[in-house]
Amino acid sequence: MNRRGAVVAVLLVACALVPFVVHSQYVLQVTDTALIYAIVVIGLGILLGFTGQMSLAQAAFFGMGAYASAIASTTLGWSPWISIPFGALFAAAIGAAVGYPCLRLSGHYLALATIGFGIIVQLVFINARSLTNGPDGINSIPPPHLGSLALDTYQTYFYVAYGALLISVYIAWRVKHSRIGRAFEAIRENEIAAQAMGINATHYKVLAFVLASAFGGLAGGLIAHMTRFISPDSYSFDQSVIFLVMLVIGGSATITGAVTGAILLTFLPEFLRPLKDSYIMIYGAAVVLMVIFMPEGIVGLVRRLIPSYQAPPAAPMHATNSIADSA
Amino acid sequence: MATPILELRGLIKTFGGVKAVNALDMTVNDGEIHALIGPNGSGKTTTLNVISGIYRANEGSVKFRGDEISQLPAHTIAQRGITRTFQNIRLFPRLTVLDNVLIGRHTRLRTNFWMTLAPNPITALEEDTARRNAHDLLAFVGLADRAQVRASSLAYGDQRRLEIARALAAEPALLLLDEPAAGMNPTETDALVKLLYQVRDRGVTLLLIEHDMNLVMAISDRITVLNFGTHIAEGAAAEVSQNPDVITAYLGGPLDAGFAQTR
Amino acid sequence: MFDPSATLQLIVSGLAMGSIYALVALGFILIYNAVGVVNFAQGDFVMFPSYIAVSFILPSVFVFGTVMHWQLPTVFVYLLVLVLMAGFGLLFNRIAYYPLRDRGWLPVVISTIGVSIFLRNLAQIVWGSQPIVFPSLFSVQTLTVGSMHFRSQDLLILAVAGVLIAFQYVLFERTTLGKQMRATAQDRATAQLLGIRVDRIVAITFIYSVLLGAIAGLLVSPIFTVTKEMGGLISLKAFAASIVGGFGSIPGAILGGLLIGVVENLGGYYISTDYKDAIAFVILIGVLLLRPSGFFGERVSEKA
Repeated sequence: MNRRGAVVAVLLVACALVPFVVHSQYVLQVTDTALIYAIVVIGLGILLGFTGQMSLAQAAFFGMGAYASAIASTTLGWSPWISIPFGALFAAAIGAAVGYPCLRLSGHYLALATIGFGIIVQLVFINARSLTNGPDGINSIPPPHLGSLALDTYQTYFYVAYGALLISVYIAWRVKHSRIGRAFEAIRENEIAAQAMGINATHYKVLAFVLASAFGGLAGGLIAHMTRFISPDSYSFDQSVIFLVMLVIGGSATITGAVTGAILLTFLPEFLRPLKDSYIMIYGAAVVLMVIFMPEGIVGLVRRLIPSYQAPPAAPMHATNSIADSA
Repeated sequence: MATPILELRGLIKTFGGVKAVNALDMTVNDGEIHALIGPNGSGKTTTLNVISGIYRANEGSVKFRGDEISQLPAHTIAQRGITRTFQNIRLFPRLTVLDNVLIGRHTRLRTNFWMTLAPNPITALEEDTARRNAHDLLAFVGLADRAQVRASSLAYGDQRRLEIARALAAEPALLLLDEPAAGMNPTETDALVKLLYQVRDRGVTLLLIEHDMNLVMAISDRITVLNFGTHIAEGAAAEVSQNPDVITAYLGGPLDAGFAQTR
Repeated sequence: MFDPSATLQLIVSGLAMGSIYALVALGFILIYNAVGVVNFAQGDFVMFPSYIAVSFILPSVFVFGTVMHWQLPTVFVYLLVLVLMAGFGLLFNRIAYYPLRDRGWLPVVISTIGVSIFLRNLAQIVWGSQPIVFPSLFSVQTLTVGSMHFRSQDLLILAVAGVLIAFQYVLFERTTLGKQMRATAQDRATAQLLGIRVDRIVAITFIYSVLLGAIAGLLVSPIFTVTKEMGGLISLKAFAASIVGGFGSIPGAILGGLLIGVVENLGGYYISTDYKDAIAFVILIGVLLLRPSGFFGERVSEKA
């Protein structure tokens, strides 16, 4: 195992020990949430970071996974170990259905279509009372069990979230370093040239979209069984925007960036809480400053400081005057 | 005996009322180096774009190895065996030189999404072969030592070679080149000529658009001359250069000095 | 069933709301045409001036938790707000756009998102989270014609929007400044070569867009209450309107806004009140799938 692999392995094991070291319920809750958000942002990273397709509907898929999983385990009585993956599959299926017509659009048209879709989905969560219980939300969502042990504390759920995150990172990593990942990046860099090299751009864009939806849905299922109460408020356009900001700040072209951005921007508001009411405001200002001073995200910045690595490409940011596709 | 590999018949491409390509007939024979020339605006790049599927023809037929391809999308045409380079160089700028070539090989690989999830011998072998093939191609075009460099940081001439390497990675039967010598000095152009001969010797038919007449005359087996979207001459280089219609098209009026004399 | 008098009233108030969308959409389009970026803070430029205005119009208002009495004459307040927002537009241009102007669109979008978050929460800190009721300008709330009632504020909105659009037409078509703005939007490099001070024109465009948002806010506040969320849905619908009309097109933004205002009103009444807000986005998605260039936009076509 080379040196880099050893460092990574040590870090992974160290992280796994967090619940033994940290005892504050509050910190563990934020940690678990951060891990779950990281899964959402990895999904978005596959779509936007690798493939260059904008989506502002990631919160909608997060919500669909949450609701599908919650309904399956409360109304249908399924075990969370089944309903959580079901949430992922449900979100992926919707992603496939919606992605195919939408991904023939590009740039801001696609972004708009995803915004519209996301808003409609949230309205469905609010209004389809017979299914979703409307604004009151769904409560008493059961925690997963390992034998007779209920994983209903932030300590125990840490491992559920952490495990799912590791699986997500693994899948994203394998995709990135494969023919599929290369096709994604080719589309991002120059879609017409990619087509001319035999890449069916629509097919791969839809695939990226489905993967993003699946990751979002998986995370949704996880959060539903952690908080054990869900309501439509959490799955808004604003939340999609937050996921986007997490990705861009972290560094959109890499998996490390997605995870870093999610963790940082989940913890940041908590660090700022002592500033009382102004904390979100400062968060907003911090976002602006980070974008100005860290063009390739945090990961890009770190890699510049370590000369042996080349800074990775950031998300589709051709310095041109328009959002239009690279024509 | 020359067999056609590409046949255009009555090809028409309009843009909002303007016929960029106007009932064009053209034949490219297997194994030859064929040049497509003509004044600016005569429809050369548009023709290439229709052949490669970036544009859809409005009317007419494009037959590749006997099969009609005129309504197929670009990626399918590439899979069938036609790849290309672009007038304005369309590399994948932030990816490495090697990755650019590997992407060119996309259609020859079989790994799909599910296969990427777990390490497996088919994928491993495929990737290994693809990488070796890519390194070979980089050596062939003279970029062997730049494999890990970002494509956007290459010098202009090297970028053009990289585009060629990328297009060859798919093992095409027909390679379309849109002004491959643009912006090159005479030394670079000579190197390009040598490279193109070597590509032809590998069994690839070449169809190129060029403005550099020295290059065209030196290298082409046959030439098609376009003007106003339709062909005004087609045939071996020497006879085309003497054709009065061709001379008129380039020089704007009948002249005694054929442009063969301008060399 | 179909009720002609109700329908007419719905159309009029739909046109009024549509005018609000149109004004906000114009703000989007102008910034987009000038710098190629969608301003995610546009809705907050509707919200923030409304808060400022209401603080000076009401006899008393809670600011930072304590009661303040800052009442000023209404007309003066409107002018004050517009001046302040113009200054704010300049600041916004300088801080959120200018340092990022060569970095492509995504960083600027994120930056505007940051500004949006900042403004919303600044509003919450200053004025608290309780909705504030913006007093009506009219002593007569509705104009009655036969059996139909038209809200006075709606009529004011239509009048002001009409004047503003006429003004804008004159500005863009007849004045040098307007032509410079259009030139910059079409081709920045050439505009620069022609001696147009592009950075200045962009700053002016930003100011103008912010002012459009502010006027929209001042017009719409008496109808809804003033909250930190008030700009959110309005701006999303306005964005949808600009696409429906044809992204980049000024008449398109206006007509798209009016169309959405009317259709969502009629739909909310005849089809479903719960899903009224979804109507704008259903139209949007329909347009995107069928005719992405919208009704007036450039044809979306490939180039190689």
